[in-house]
Amino acid sequence: MIPDLAGVKTAMGWGSPGGRACRRVTGVMARVLLGAIFCVLGGFLGGCANAGSGGTAGGRAERDRLLHAYREAAERMKARQFTEAKIPLDESIAALGGLTAGDRSARQARGLFRKEDVKNFRGEPYERVMAYYYRGILYWMDGEMDNARACFRSGQIQDAEAEDGRYRSDYVLLDYLDGLATAKLAGDGSDGFRRAVANVRGATPPPLDPAANVLVFIEMGKGPAKVAAGGHGERLQYVPGSARAVSVRVQVGAQGLAVPWYDDLTFQATSRGGRVMDGILANKARFKEGTGAFGDAAILSGAVLGSQQGHGSNVDEIGAGLLIAGVLSKIVSSVTTPRADVRCWDNLPNTLGFGALSLPPGSHSGTAEFIDSAGQVLSTQSVSFTVVAGRDTVLFFPDHN
Amino acid sequence: MKFSLMKPLRPLQPLFSSLWIPSFWIAVVLTAGCTSPGVQRPGGSRVTEIRADERGRVAGTGIESQDLVAVADKMARSLLNVPQVAQGPTAPRIVLEPVLNETRFAINKEMFLDRIRIGLNQKAAGRMIFLARDRMASLEKERELKRTGAVTSSTDPQLQEFKGADFFLTGKLQSLTTRNSKGVSDYVLYSFQLIDPRTSEIVWEDAAEVKKEGSEDAAYR
Repeated sequence: MIPDLAGVKTAMGWGSPGGRACRRVTGVMARVLLGAIFCVLGGFLGGCANAGSGGTAGGRAERDRLLHAYREAAERMKARQFTEAKIPLDESIAALGGLTAGDRSARQARGLFRKEDVKNFRGEPYERVMAYYYRGILYWMDGEMDNARACFRSGQIQDAEAEDGRYRSDYVLLDYLDGLATAKLAGDGSDGFRRAVANVRGATPPPLDPAANVLVFIEMGKGPAKVAAGGHGERLQYVPGSARAVSVRVQVGAQGLAVPWYDDLTFQATSRGGRVMDGILANKARFKEGTGAFGDAAILSGAVLGSQQGHGSNVDEIGAGLLIAGVLSKIVSSVTTPRADVRCWDNLPNTLGFGALSLPPGSHSGTAEFIDSAGQVLSTQSVSFTVVAGRDTVLFFPDHN
Repeated sequence: MKFSLMKPLRPLQPLFSSLWIPSFWIAVVLTAGCTSPGVQRPGGSRVTEIRADERGRVAGTGIESQDLVAVADKMARSLLNVPQVAQGPTAPRIVLEPVLNETRFAINKEMFLDRIRIGLNQKAAGRMIFLARDRMASLEKERELKRTGAVTSSTDPQLQEFKGADFFLTGKLQSLTTRNSKGVSDYVLYSFQLIDPRTSEIVWEDAAEVKKEGSEDAAYR
């Protein structure tokens, strides 16, 4: 990283006749000065690297608070610890309900010298949607159908910023469940149903059945992951998720129900289009490349000017100035951090499914078989539950394959 | 000799005076930029008490405490002017029916009616009486204990003293939302009704509306 000082020496008139003492003093001064600059900037580099990769433990924890809440919620849901899952989900939804205008961490993330991941994590739209989706399921479980519907509607709103209008608010299940809840609350759910059918990409959902009193939510596979692509990691891209199971067969007594998937989180993550932040990161990358290229050119020019012209001339001085400016430009380039934020809610499923049954009040037990594309049963989950008259029973089957 | 010694130094003087100062300050400024590694308010923030009807520092476009207070106060004032309440021969008995939430915001719906009831009880001075229907299970259990003699009673426990409702007070919350790359806008309509259960007549109705908009930081868009 320390440049060759030959050019500087030449520019400073090092080779001209003069006293040894003066040369020594001058050499020491130059080395001390450049050394000090490199030390300070080295410290800066170290500091920034630390800030970008984590900073203090407290700062990191604060920035990742929602990420941990999301992950905990999904873990609790998979473990069917529904009461415990409400806590991180409520925390998440409370945070998502507030606007980020004026958020200091977001301002820092937009700055040239900080990575995007210094901002407080909120997740991409498909992740935020899932926080609302899970909370909606739990509200329905508690008999609060209107609050469940509110969550499904808010989830759909989180998906409203897709670049391509065709992919805005296009979750099939959210609209379908909005319509079902509305129908159950003696409203007209047909609008939600129509929107759901219009966005179908997997199976087509059945007509709304307000009389169904056992709701079956399933999820399959492992969701998408984020990676930083591009020359400087400035482009956020996704590694597609996958699911071995393509449907779930639910059997309760004599009643059987095939539950397909309706929404694919990989599709949702990748169909969002460009973010405003992508443009900011691209500009950062261009700045990094520009300052780097300028630094290279300035160092080269400075070295050439300093080494080839006569000693003590103005050209020497310009050469030395270019050299130092080039070094500084290279340093600025090296600390510019266009890297995209790849923190990810990494325990999400890849596909979401739903089905509804009508069962009489009383105790029931059943099974859910996860089935692959060849029709083979991958795993079976058993469940016992009680149907209470006048309210819905909600069953949740996570994929453990 | 002195002259020859100083000669090579001449170009160095402007070089150092012109370069080291800006270099130093660039380094200082950049270093200063790293002193706070992304921690917001590292010293924390003191507890601040604000009125429930004020917008706090943490705000969104959803239903917030200041909306609840403003809407509940408006409804309570409006209800006190209803002729059946203000000029009736006896204080009407009112039962609160759950509010229907048709917005996109999951809320504790009972808070609206509770806040209205509290406001009315404070201001109405006995001009209306609210019945605790949400406590019926406990009330029936207590009455049963009295009837069986398990606990004492200051009146005849066999008498039916649970009162019927003269009116139902209920409400509905509805919203319209717009969200795009420029921001989010939420309009919420709070409507409340006083219904006569004997005739199904709506004897009073009023509404309040709140619209909020804002946008996310570009880092989240």
